[in-house]
Amino acid sequence: MWEITQGLLGGFGAALKPLYFFYALAGTILGTITGVLPGLGPLGAMAILLSFTLKMDATAAMILFAGIYYGAMYGGSTTSILLNIPGEAASVVTCIDGYQMAQKGRAGAALAVAAVGSFIAGTISILGLTVVALYLSDIALRFGPAEFLAIGVCGLMFLIRMTGGSLLQSLIMTLIGMALGTVGIDFLTGAERFTYGINELGQGIEFLPVAMGIFGIAEVLLSVQGKEVPKTAQKVSLRELLPTRNEWKRAVPPMFRGSVMGFFMGLVPGPSPIISTFVSYFTEKRLSKHPEEFGHGAIEAVAGPESANNAAVGGAYVPLFALGIPFTPAMAMVLGALMLHGLTPGPNLMKEKADLFWIVIASMYIGNFMLIILNLPLVNVFVNILRVPQRILMPVIVLLCLIGVYSVNASLLDLLLLAIFGLIGYVLRQAGFQVAPLILALVIGPMIETSLRQALKITGGDLAEVVFRPICLSLYVATLLCFAVPLILKWTKRGKG
Amino acid sequence: MFISLALFGFSLFYFLSSLHLKMGTPRNMGPGFVPAMLGGLLLASTAFHLIRVYRGRPPEQETKPSPRENLNYWAVAGILACTAAYPLILETVKFVASTFIVGFAMLLLWKPRKPFFSFLIALGMALGCFFLFSRFFGVALPSGFFERLLFRIGA
Repeated sequence: MWEITQGLLGGFGAALKPLYFFYALAGTILGTITGVLPGLGPLGAMAILLSFTLKMDATAAMILFAGIYYGAMYGGSTTSILLNIPGEAASVVTCIDGYQMAQKGRAGAALAVAAVGSFIAGTISILGLTVVALYLSDIALRFGPAEFLAIGVCGLMFLIRMTGGSLLQSLIMTLIGMALGTVGIDFLTGAERFTYGINELGQGIEFLPVAMGIFGIAEVLLSVQGKEVPKTAQKVSLRELLPTRNEWKRAVPPMFRGSVMGFFMGLVPGPSPIISTFVSYFTEKRLSKHPEEFGHGAIEAVAGPESANNAAVGGAYVPLFALGIPFTPAMAMVLGALMLHGLTPGPNLMKEKADLFWIVIASMYIGNFMLIILNLPLVNVFVNILRVPQRILMPVIVLLCLIGVYSVNASLLDLLLLAIFGLIGYVLRQAGFQVAPLILALVIGPMIETSLRQALKITGGDLAEVVFRPICLSLYVATLLCFAVPLILKWTKRGKG
Repeated sequence: MFISLALFGFSLFYFLSSLHLKMGTPRNMGPGFVPAMLGGLLLASTAFHLIRVYRGRPPEQETKPSPRENLNYWAVAGILACTAAYPLILETVKFVASTFIVGFAMLLLWKPRKPFFSFLIALGMALGCFFLFSRFFGVALPSGFFERLLFRIGA
């Protein structure tokens, strides 16, 4: 407990320094803007800004990304409520009842509930992150290659299961990501793999051009293929932002339920912020005294999911900080930013660079506070961002991607890879493939290979000894259950039918 | 069908390439062991996917692609062409000119009726990007006479 208090105090001391405070502010504002703009979610924004973080120190980069992630979750709700346009995927559920509330003249109340819910959820999840990450990192210090192999495999398998869409397609994407991760010089033997005489490929396929191509360029291509529709939103005055006593009474319990639920869902690999909103919505509908109001402007349906998606963000940081393994694509971006600064997250980093962890945690608190202070009064300003024409916004995004990728290594090959992965991302997403597993597998794949080879070397090639260790076995069983239980349930239902 | 074939082709290529690498033993894995394992799995899964698509049975729960009517494929192709052309011209015509050309081309793709407006915006974007990246972020961009002049003016 003393360690937490001391760490937090130190973190706040540093996070309130003007530079870090500025990055927290910039992150929340940028995040809100990207959340408001349909199509450009937190992933796209992080991908575009990844190269910008090079000139910052690692702590500043983490603070900026945390702000973007939180801000995007909040910004997405604004357009969902006012325009029925989800700024990003985790706000789709808010559209259902949030927009209905706006139609009934309660847009201000919906926005205020979403903001307060996000704040409560953010605070609860940061508390959870603080405690769970510290505890987990202590345990993780005793992990060997076999355990890290099991965590990596389990993480990828859960991701395939939870991503949604076809299992086969997600498996193919994961394998392709892992295959791309094998390109370059083999770290153990020094042998070149799949470089085909291109010297630059010796360092491997960089994460940045792949992520920016698949999420940045492909997103632009998907946005431009449709026709631009002019958007008009209703104005919300400050007076309208105050919910009634009855609305508060109905909204507060879902906020807390959504926060706890969201945090734990954030610990699970996969698009946890999105899944948590659906789980929260259906839980609230089941628990509500007025389930018939759901779909027609129930305030619980805004409070619960909006809290859940923000809490899931904090939860998603736990495996990254404690184990060094990203379980969501956004966390892969955060990992990418850390790696650009020569840092590898994990239990050792939490011990050796504890100050970074505490400053980021403190900035998350500050960022959450900024969101509620800034975003409610400025809601009309953020909605006006939607008026920026796509024909100007999209070329700017493409140019930022191009120059951003070039600025890291000054490599023309990286630029070419950006274009290639932009096309690949566009084609795959058009065909209904989920590309998130590809990105995560590209990051986790090399770690899995390293752990497998190290573990087998230690055990003299005995695979059983690698698999049948207590922690590993539990994780493999959990993975098997994750695939088997839905199948068994399906067969049982079929049998009954 | 085309995507399934392309994925299968990639898997086959990857698998065959991985066979040229040294495999080693389970105790001392060579550089080709994991790629060969991955390649095998990838080949099997893409083959299965191809068969399912060929038989006309889309994979379970497959997300429906968006309807293709009225889609602006010209803009998509144009942006892709601009993205691919940028690395090819960057070293030759240097940063500001190449950024301006690519920006202008993209703006024209969206709003062909306003070339002068697009010209001004593209110029603004190129100069803005130059100052942002070279001065603010300190990135060494491909520079010619014009860029060096701008850098001096900015200083």
